[in-house]
Amino acid sequence: MDFLSLAMDTAKSLGADYADIRIQKSSTEMIYLRNLSLKNTSLNEIYGYGIRIFKNGAWGFAHNNVFTQDAVNNTVKKAFAIAKESGRVKYGDGLVLAHERGYIDSYKTPYCLDPFDVPLSEKVELMMEVNKTMLNYAEIKLAMFMLECRKDEKLFASTLGSRLDIHTVYIEPTFTATAVAEGDSQSRTFSHGGQAKGWEWVKSLNLMDKAEQVAEEAIMKVHAGSLGAEERRTLLLNPNHIALTMHESVGHPTELDRVLGWEADFAGISFATPEKLGNYQYGSKIVNFVANNTLEGGLATAGYDDDGVPNQKWYIIKDGILNEYGNTRATAPLIGLDMSRGCNRATNYFDFPINRIPNLYLEPGKDPLTPQELIADTKDGVYIEGRGSFSIDQHRVNFQFGGDMFWEIKNGKKTRPLKKILYKSNNPEFWNSVDAICDKRFFQTFGVTNCGKGQPGQRGRMTHGGALTRFRNIRVGGSQ
Amino acid sequence: MITKQEMQKAAEFIRKNVKADDFSFSVTGSEDLLTRFAQNGITQHITGDKLNVSLGVDFDTKNGQASGNNLDEASLKYLIKTAESMAKLNQPDPENMPSEGAHKLPDVNNYSQNTADLSVEKIVDDIKICVENAKKKNAKLSGISEKCLDHTMLTTKNGFEGFDNSATFSHSMTMKKEGVETKVSRSVKDHAKLDFPALINQLNTQFDSLSNPVQIEKGRIPVILRPAAVLNWLQYLIWTYDRRTADEGHTPFTDQIGKKFFGDKFTFRSSLDDPELNAAKFLNGGVPGENIDWIVNGVIKNMSATRYYAKQKNLKALRPYNVIVEGGDTSEAEMMKMVKRGVIINNFWYIRPIDRKIGEWTGLTRDGVLYFEDGKIQKSVTNFRWNEILHDATKRILAMGPSVQQEYYAKVPTLLINDFNFVDVTTF
Repeated sequence: MDFLSLAMDTAKSLGADYADIRIQKSSTEMIYLRNLSLKNTSLNEIYGYGIRIFKNGAWGFAHNNVFTQDAVNNTVKKAFAIAKESGRVKYGDGLVLAHERGYIDSYKTPYCLDPFDVPLSEKVELMMEVNKTMLNYAEIKLAMFMLECRKDEKLFASTLGSRLDIHTVYIEPTFTATAVAEGDSQSRTFSHGGQAKGWEWVKSLNLMDKAEQVAEEAIMKVHAGSLGAEERRTLLLNPNHIALTMHESVGHPTELDRVLGWEADFAGISFATPEKLGNYQYGSKIVNFVANNTLEGGLATAGYDDDGVPNQKWYIIKDGILNEYGNTRATAPLIGLDMSRGCNRATNYFDFPINRIPNLYLEPGKDPLTPQELIADTKDGVYIEGRGSFSIDQHRVNFQFGGDMFWEIKNGKKTRPLKKILYKSNNPEFWNSVDAICDKRFFQTFGVTNCGKGQPGQRGRMTHGGALTRFRNIRVGGSQ
Repeated sequence: MITKQEMQKAAEFIRKNVKADDFSFSVTGSEDLLTRFAQNGITQHITGDKLNVSLGVDFDTKNGQASGNNLDEASLKYLIKTAESMAKLNQPDPENMPSEGAHKLPDVNNYSQNTADLSVEKIVDDIKICVENAKKKNAKLSGISEKCLDHTMLTTKNGFEGFDNSATFSHSMTMKKEGVETKVSRSVKDHAKLDFPALINQLNTQFDSLSNPVQIEKGRIPVILRPAAVLNWLQYLIWTYDRRTADEGHTPFTDQIGKKFFGDKFTFRSSLDDPELNAAKFLNGGVPGENIDWIVNGVIKNMSATRYYAKQKNLKALRPYNVIVEGGDTSEAEMMKMVKRGVIINNFWYIRPIDRKIGEWTGLTRDGVLYFEDGKIQKSVTNFRWNEILHDATKRILAMGPSVQQEYYAKVPTLLINDFNFVDVTTF
C-alpha cells in the first residue's frame, strides 16, 4: 500500500489547503558505562507517521504507528479536525505558507561504516578500554562514557507533489573523567557533540590518547587555582567552546519563530527583531556567521527540511551586521519573505516540526593566523576549552558561561591551569569584542544533539564551528 | 489507546518466549492532546497515541535492552531477539541486579475520568477565553494546554507485576505587552479541579502589578520567591540529591547524611497520601512507592538511590516521585514587612550548575520582578542573574507561606529568603 499517496489523496478530498506526511523510523543505540559498570545498553526503534494538515491558515497534526488504510485515513481526518479547531483561535488573519514547489529526491548521510553494523561487543570493548585508561590514574574516581548512535529513515510526501527519501546518521561519543582531591571534584570531558559520519570517524579519533589527556587534565584541574574577583580580561575561546556560545547567543536569537514571539511561554523570545535586519551591529566587522544546511557532516544536513524545503546556505550575520534569520514556510511570510530557508525540523515521527537553528558557524579569519600566534599576541588573558556551565536570559541578551578547561595566559604563554572560571557578557557586547579569529586551517566543527526546544519538548540537533577566537574586555572571574 | 488486557497478553508472550535468565518488561501507552498558542492564535495542535514497549534481559550479569512502539507478535519477537543478542554480546556488569519479585503495591489513584473526558472543543473554548482576556488588555498571550493519559505495566521474570493509569492536564500562559511579560502555569490530575477563572485572575494580577521595569543595583538582596520559582530551583537541587555521588565525593552532600545541612525551616518529602498529587505506585524497576522524608527541619534523612546502591548500603531504593515542601502561615504582605527592602520573584529561568561539589548554581529571574520597600511594592525592576549555593539559601529562609499546589506532582510554599546573591542585572 502506498500510504504516502493515500494520505495525500485523503487530505485533498477533505479540502486541506496543504498537507504532508512523514513516515519515519528512528533507531537509537545507547551505551552508558559508569566506571566499569554498564548502566545502559539499549536499542530503541520507533516507527510511525505524522500528518500535518493546513486549513484556513491553521495547523492540525496527528500521528500514529498503525500502518493500515483505515488507520492512515483516520489519522488524516483527526489532523483535519483539529486544524479546523485551531482555526477558531486563529493566528492573526491566519498563517500563510511561503511559496515552495514539489521535489522528488533522496538524501543519505555520506559514510563508509554504518555504526549500526559495528558489533556491540566492539563498541563496549572500546568504551571499557577508555574507561580503564582513565581509571588507571589514582585520583580519577569516576570515569563515564556515553555512546549514542542514531539513524533516521524518512519518507516525506506533500500535496505539492514532493516525494523525498531521507536517510541520516550520527554518532556521538562522550567521555568524562572526574578527579577527587583536596576536598574538590573536577571533571574534564571529551566530546565533539556528535557528527553525521560513519564509524570510520570514531576510529580516526584516537580515543585512547584522548582518554589519557582527559584524565590528566581533570587531575590538573582539581589541583588548579582560580581567579579572584571579576575583572575585564581578554578571552581566547576554542572552537568547541564557541560552538556553544554561538548556539545560545546567535543561533537561538535568530530563529524567526522566537523573533515572532512563538516561544514566548517557554524557550523565550529574541532581542534580534526584524527592524534590526541590515543595520544592527551584532558583531565586529570580522564576524561572519554562516548558516549552512548543506555542510558535510552537519547534523542539520538532510537534503530537505520537514517542510520539504531544500537545504541552503546563507549569511545570518555578514560583516558584523544582522543579515537574515533561520525560518520556515509558516514563519518567513510574517516578515514579508516569499521563500523559506528550510529550518523546520521534527525529531521523531510524532513531533510537529518547529523552527530550528541551522548548521551555523563563525567564518574563520581571512588573514593567516595560527593558534600559537594568537596566544603569543595575547599579553594577559584566559584560554577556555570545551563546554561548561551555560545560562542565558529568555531574550538572549545577557549570559554567563563557564568552560571545561581553563588556562591563564601571561605575556603570550599559557602559564597555568585554572578552574571555576566564569565570564559574563551580553549581546551585542560579546561578538563586537572579537578582534582576531584564526584562519581556515584551524576551523573545526562540533555538534549539538540536545537542543531542547518546543512544547512538547524536542531534542534538536545541528552543527556549529569556528576557529580559535579572541574576545577583548570581557568580565571574567572565579566562581564562589 | 492500549488496554490492560493487551498489555497482559504481550507480557504472557514475553514470559513464554524469553530465553534469558532474567527479564524486565514494560509497556506505556499514552494519549496526548496538545494545543499550543502564541501571539493570541493557535500555532500548533497535536493529537495521537504513543506506545513504548521495553524489554531488558540478563544472561547471568550481561544485560541488553531493546525498546520499540509495537505490541504485535512479530514486533515482540524482534524485541526479544534484539535484547538477547545485545546481552550475549555485552560484557558482565559487576553492578547487575536481579529483577524485582512480587510486591504488594500501595493503593494510589493517579487517574481522573474528568481529565480523560476532556474534549478538544473544550480545550479550545478555554484557550479562547484566555486569549479574549489578553486582548482586553491589548496584550499578546502565548502558552499551551495539554491533556495526557498514560497506562503503564511493568512485569518481571521474578514475579513483579504492576499497573498504573495516570491523567494530567497542564495549562500555562504568558501575557506580554511591550516591556511587561508574566506567566502563570498549573498542572493537575483532575481537570475539574483547575480553577480557570482563578488562574486568569492570577495572571491579570501579576500583569497589572508590573510596569516597564527599571534597573536597580545587583547585590545580596532579600527575596520573596513565589511557588513557581521555589519549585524550579528545587527540581535542580533534586537532580544532584543522590546518595552515591555524595558518598563518592562529587556533591556538597558528602558525609552530611543525618546531619543538619539545610536550614531549620526546610522540610521536603514525597507522599502517597495527598489525593491531589500524583504519586508512584512503583518505581526504579518495581520498587513499591512509599512515604519518604528526604529532609526534615534541615536534616538530611534520605537521598535518592538506585537498587544496586541501596542494596550495598542498606538504603531505600527510592527517588523523589513527588515534591511536598512544608509551608508556614506568613502572607506575602507580612513578608514584605519583615525586611526593609527586597524583590518578589515570579519565576527563575535557565538554572545550571556552576560547581557541583560546592552546590553553586546560576540562573536568572523571569516573568516579572517587583521591588518592595517599607512593606510596599514600589516598582517593577529588570531581571537579575544569580549565582547561589542553594542549600545555603535554605538557611536564610525567614518565613514561609502556605504550601500550595503548583503542579500535579508538587506542593510548595512562597519563601522569604534573606541575602539572595544577585550578581548581574539584565537590560529588560
